[in-house]
Amino acid sequence: MMLARHAEDLFWTGRYIERAEDTARLLDVTYHGLLESPLLDAASAWRELLEQLYLDQAFSAKGLPVTDSAVTEFLVLDPDNAGSIVRSLARARDNARNVRERISTELWEEINTLFLELHARDLRTDLEREPYQLYRFVKSRCQTISGVSAETMSRDDGWRFLLLGRMLERAEMTCRLLSVRFRRSSRAAVTSDVHYWIAVLKSVSAFEAYLRAHRAQIEPQDVLEFLLLSREFPRSVLFALRASESELVRLGAGTGPTRPERLLGRLRADLEFMDIHEIVENGLLAALDSLQQGVLAVAESVERHFFRAAVRPELHVCESV
Amino acid sequence: MTTDLFTEYERGDFFDEVFDARGGVRSHYRPLLERLRALAPGELRHRAGLRDTILRNLGITFAVYGEAQGIERTWPLDLIPRIIPADEWHQVERGLVQRVRALNCFLEDLYLGERAALREGVIPAWLVQSSGGFCREAFGIPVPKGARCLVAGIDVVRDAHGTYRVLEDNLRTPSGVSYVLENRATLTRVLPLAFAHRVRPVNHYGASLLSALRNLAPPSASDPPRIVVLTPGIHNSAYFEHAFLARQMGIELVEGRDLVVDDHVVFMRTTRGLSRVDVIYRRVGDEFLDPAVFRSDSVLGVPGLLSAARAGNVSLANAIGNGVADDKAVYAYVPGLVRFYLGEEPILPNVDTYLLWDRDQRAAALSRLHELVVKPVDASGGYGIVIGPKATEEELAGVRKAIEAKPRSYIAQEVVALSRHPTLIDDAPRGTGRIEGRHIDLRPFVLTGEKIEVIPGGLTRVALRKDSLVVNSSQGGGSKDTWVLAAGENGASR
Repeated sequence: MMLARHAEDLFWTGRYIERAEDTARLLDVTYHGLLESPLLDAASAWRELLEQLYLDQAFSAKGLPVTDSAVTEFLVLDPDNAGSIVRSLARARDNARNVRERISTELWEEINTLFLELHARDLRTDLEREPYQLYRFVKSRCQTISGVSAETMSRDDGWRFLLLGRMLERAEMTCRLLSVRFRRSSRAAVTSDVHYWIAVLKSVSAFEAYLRAHRAQIEPQDVLEFLLLSREFPRSVLFALRASESELVRLGAGTGPTRPERLLGRLRADLEFMDIHEIVENGLLAALDSLQQGVLAVAESVERHFFRAAVRPELHVCESV
Repeated sequence: MTTDLFTEYERGDFFDEVFDARGGVRSHYRPLLERLRALAPGELRHRAGLRDTILRNLGITFAVYGEAQGIERTWPLDLIPRIIPADEWHQVERGLVQRVRALNCFLEDLYLGERAALREGVIPAWLVQSSGGFCREAFGIPVPKGARCLVAGIDVVRDAHGTYRVLEDNLRTPSGVSYVLENRATLTRVLPLAFAHRVRPVNHYGASLLSALRNLAPPSASDPPRIVVLTPGIHNSAYFEHAFLARQMGIELVEGRDLVVDDHVVFMRTTRGLSRVDVIYRRVGDEFLDPAVFRSDSVLGVPGLLSAARAGNVSLANAIGNGVADDKAVYAYVPGLVRFYLGEEPILPNVDTYLLWDRDQRAAALSRLHELVVKPVDASGGYGIVIGPKATEEELAGVRKAIEAKPRSYIAQEVVALSRHPTLIDDAPRGTGRIEGRHIDLRPFVLTGEKIEVIPGGLTRVALRKDSLVVNSSQGGGSKDTWVLAAGENGASR
């Protein structure tokens, strides 16, 4: 049991850190994918990415042309863009600062230092000269944050909300990544291009793990199956949902499944026992979309159940623990 | 002796903490100075850079925070520690314990007792009742064991003779203790070689505070009682400290919106519903605590909190209404309160103070206003203070007029030539950093638990501007790690 406001702050700290990391991944794979496939239409690739991040309208409101530099700057450093990496990390830091006394000093130091270092850099020049280095910096520092939190935080409810936020965000972002890539592949007829799928796998650090699982056979459908349904790989959608579910179960009061637990359990079971051929035949993009909506519904239900429940005294008095 | 950091040091016409009147190093500073003198040129400046990095990365800051610029001012910690020998500290500590005992008695008697000090004329009743900190709503609210000043910050200065004197009492929500702990932790990392002495530790403060708060639990509390820290929120300049203390004690840091009162019982909103709260270490001022009683526009407080306290279902620390005892006019009567309630002579003297509503004292003060300090009775943080010798004619005329209009609202005091301490002045963009004398004070922290306890040392504040006497961090002050030497440690090197 913990203060509802703190639970919410930790949940969002987890989400924003994951969002920053995954945005860096998506940018990395899109940017470098375009360099490797000069025939692709860059503007439509960037537009798809913006759509997947639900940021297409915010971008067009700026009235800028859809170019590499305009979109990457928008997604990395634009302070007006609520989804930019800089803003995500600033909000992660705000949330962490609100729960400063609940997280370890090392964890706070990592989050704070990342924010300060990002502010000290000339991001525009970094994007021009060495975007790879910049994305790598963001990814590795977000991973450091996960590592430090895993090694310094007790496995109490605070830790669970932090992890739950990260895992739900990850499930959603991996769905988005797959949508971006498969939508593009269906149009541009690159489905058999091995390099393309290698890039996709690399963008989620899955290349080596995939090779071990599939003995170097790179097939689009196998890639899809791996990133959706692997039980072992920590960035697959199923893995993230199972991890979220086990935290949700521990967060429950032990009086039967909570509403978020029910929603997530059904979503996870639907995915887990689905045949990959079936998914493809019934329409992959629609399946990914409904999966993504399902994850969002779970996140909303977590908010309602845990963060907004304790309002009326007569309904919610519980025994002191 | 070769040229070193202290060669050009000007002792000045003040009490210097390190150098005696003939320029010799006081014995308890000798080992430290030997080690500092052995440093290579520029080494201290290098360490100052390291200090800034550590403080910034840990987010030890105090300025108002805003997402747009995001960079706060780091806490100004001077690298040269202040040292207090064991026997000297022993006297200060006894004086502080005595003073806080008397203040607790006075407040308990005022709000729940016979008001003996008022009836017997130790302090005028009208003076107490006209104080901005006097709070009628505090009547009848029980405070377990009379521990009203659970945390007191008593500001102490040393005058031209080196005598310790109390400058003011802070009995509402005194802040700064987190910096005492962080200063020590930082200095051990940045300048480990300076620790040539056995220094009494300070990092048990969280445990001591928690045990004092437990001692305050109401009879109806669960066992162990649920204790929380109540903060005004992240935008408060002391938020860092509120979070720090909650973490040190391992308890929840709550805001007003996290609490709810039902049937005179306080609950906090948790992920599993409402959960009862027994003791609140509140860092929210009286007037914002309960919008149902005080300021109805306060969004920082909890409606109904006072009713719960009155019913004895929750204890607040510090108690409501303490402000009356740290009114600067009431301050002048504290030595009298010590004699009255304890039957003892005060160990720590006050600074000589003129009470300006008294016609004779007012006339005496007005005739030599240019030699005195004038302070508003109800302000803190160094605001509104006029220092006679440094004031312009207009300022003096203005303050004279203000005194004549509202004599109750001001006091005048002799200017205390605060002691000075060598301080690293590293505002020069190049060079090795200079060491100059700067005026200092001391805020020790006194806890009322089962016994009254003083954390060794306290927060030494430094007026960083040359010749300034104002040490408040809101006015450009810095700080020093403050060492109380262990008993038997007379300064011999180890």
